[in-house]
Amino acid sequence: MMFQKILIANRGEIAIRIMRACKELGIGTVAVYSEADKNSFHVQFADEAIMIGEAAPKESYLNIGKVIDAAKQTHADAIHPGYGFLSENASFAEAAASANLTFIGPSADSIRAMGDKAESKIRMKKVGVPTIPGIEGIEAENDFKRAAQEIGYPVLVKAAAGGGGKGMRIVNVESEMSESLEAARREALNAFGDERLLIEKYLPNAHHIEFQVFGDQHGNLMHLFERECSVQRRHQKVIEETPSSLITSNLRGEMSKAAVVAAKTVGYFNAGTVEFIVDPETLKFYFLEMNTRLQVEHPVTEFVVGLDLVQWQIRIAAGEKFPFTQKDISQGGHAIECRVYAEDPANGFLPSTGKLLQFIEPRGPGIRIDSGFVAGDEVTHFYDPLLAKLIVHAENRQSAIQRMQAALREFVVHGVTTNIDFMQSVLAHSDFQEGKVTTRWVETKFNWMPAEPSFEALIAAAVADATSAKRKTENGNRNEPDPYSPWKNTSRFRN
Amino acid sequence: MRAVFDQNVIDLTSNGKEFTAIVGDRTAFVEIIHSENGSLDLRIDGKHIIAYVSSDGAKRWVTVNGQTFLLTKSSNGSSYSKGKHRSTEYDHTSELAAPMPGQVRSVNVKESEAVTKGQTLLVLEAMKMEFRIQAPRDGKVKALHVKQGQTVEREQVLIELEKS
Repeated sequence: MMFQKILIANRGEIAIRIMRACKELGIGTVAVYSEADKNSFHVQFADEAIMIGEAAPKESYLNIGKVIDAAKQTHADAIHPGYGFLSENASFAEAAASANLTFIGPSADSIRAMGDKAESKIRMKKVGVPTIPGIEGIEAENDFKRAAQEIGYPVLVKAAAGGGGKGMRIVNVESEMSESLEAARREALNAFGDERLLIEKYLPNAHHIEFQVFGDQHGNLMHLFERECSVQRRHQKVIEETPSSLITSNLRGEMSKAAVVAAKTVGYFNAGTVEFIVDPETLKFYFLEMNTRLQVEHPVTEFVVGLDLVQWQIRIAAGEKFPFTQKDISQGGHAIECRVYAEDPANGFLPSTGKLLQFIEPRGPGIRIDSGFVAGDEVTHFYDPLLAKLIVHAENRQSAIQRMQAALREFVVHGVTTNIDFMQSVLAHSDFQEGKVTTRWVETKFNWMPAEPSFEALIAAAVADATSAKRKTENGNRNEPDPYSPWKNTSRFRN
Repeated sequence: MRAVFDQNVIDLTSNGKEFTAIVGDRTAFVEIIHSENGSLDLRIDGKHIIAYVSSDGAKRWVTVNGQTFLLTKSSNGSSYSKGKHRSTEYDHTSELAAPMPGQVRSVNVKESEAVTKGQTLLVLEAMKMEFRIQAPRDGKVKALHVKQGQTVEREQVLIELEKS
């Protein structure tokens, strides 16, 4: 039975993307939102919307009771968790089930088995999926120091419960251990409500390559090929693409097989992603973790395999069976995603907040925008600084890069600093063009500086001021508090 | 008329429909094809350009040819913007400001406490990420301007240090 109404327990671009899938399938949509999001686009876009609490995620988007109550109140019959927030929370999946709501995702047992990064590593070792050398299940600082000495610095301490770069620290020398543990624990506790950490060898020059897997509830599980996600800053992805230019078809075969084994080990169904680290020197790969949810970067896979992943998530949760098999799936063309963040690449990629004075998205053939903002919206410090995902599809990698470069040139965001110009420079760099970027490339090899204002930009700024000053005189509007504001100016100067 | 953005002086002379623009040692003829809320269609020395310009107080966001710049307008025509060149080198105190807007997660020092270079003085949190504010050199905490849990703006002064 297909669902009548789905509650989307998320915000921003992903909530909107899920609602679009629901609308296409003729399913009603319910948004939940925090006080800070009351004017957000995801709230307007939904058929119904329920305010669930204060801006802080713990009071709203992470509050299981309030989300379930909102679903009951609106008579929704299923919940889509999106990514982040409660998407990998097994207790949430169980709470939904006990409230007679279908959780659109894998079983609570699969989430739990893979959600625990320590537990999942142990399972993978057992079924012969290669893992990164490391130690799980230790707590005391001295044990971490001892483990680090055994493995050899640099090491990574990371949240046993988490993912997404949160609650993670690279430790280069023993003297950094104490403070890194403390910070990672606090971040882990804050992001996942669980402060356990594990430690593993840190591979500084590696590619991050992940495989999309998808299973129905009738025992069919397949992979939808890889995504190359090595362009990262602060352990978070910025640019993703598929196919990867690093892996050969042999390696693709081995890795996809390992991904399917990993997912089957935990009885997986619905959409999931098996992440691997690949050493470009040896082409050896290691299981990193499995994300038991939809990924931010799922659109690149949708472009090359031609399937709507979110619609299939919904259809599988409703009990449908895949009408296709592994051999029907192939990679067509090349897709790239750029994550447009409100952040300042010249200032350590720190978040930038403010009101969006202009927000003009690019358009054209093979261009997709998943965004959650419009001009006039406020970007606050409460949530992830992701403004939009720009995804392009073209015949091959080179034309996809060119298409992305042209699209980014058309993207105008004023009011907050973004990483658009930074990503332009990455795309133009020979290391990126040759597919040589590794996960620490941005930090260690790429020294980006913002350009000096161009001649044309300075002239444009001066002309804009001159024309608005002229408008002001013509209108005699001397009481205008901000005569330069593009929002208040309704007169038009024409020559 | 003269406009100064950061260290750049732009002189515009209106000659009817056109402007003559002088920036440093470069001169250009500028024709306005169309101008409306936030965008300009210009011809600069015959080359067509679409520019997006937004204003927020003295700040100007300008996008031309796919590149975005944040400029600050100086009202007094001086070529130095206020604040930017304020030196703390000859000063005995130094102010540590928030590098981003967010919330103070913890304050690890007290007023008049001695601190060493690299010591974490306080921890800020924004968008679920943590940032440590560390002492740039040895010294003493002269003043603490924030409390745990407080929300701060970017560039807000959090803590003042002085030489011990």
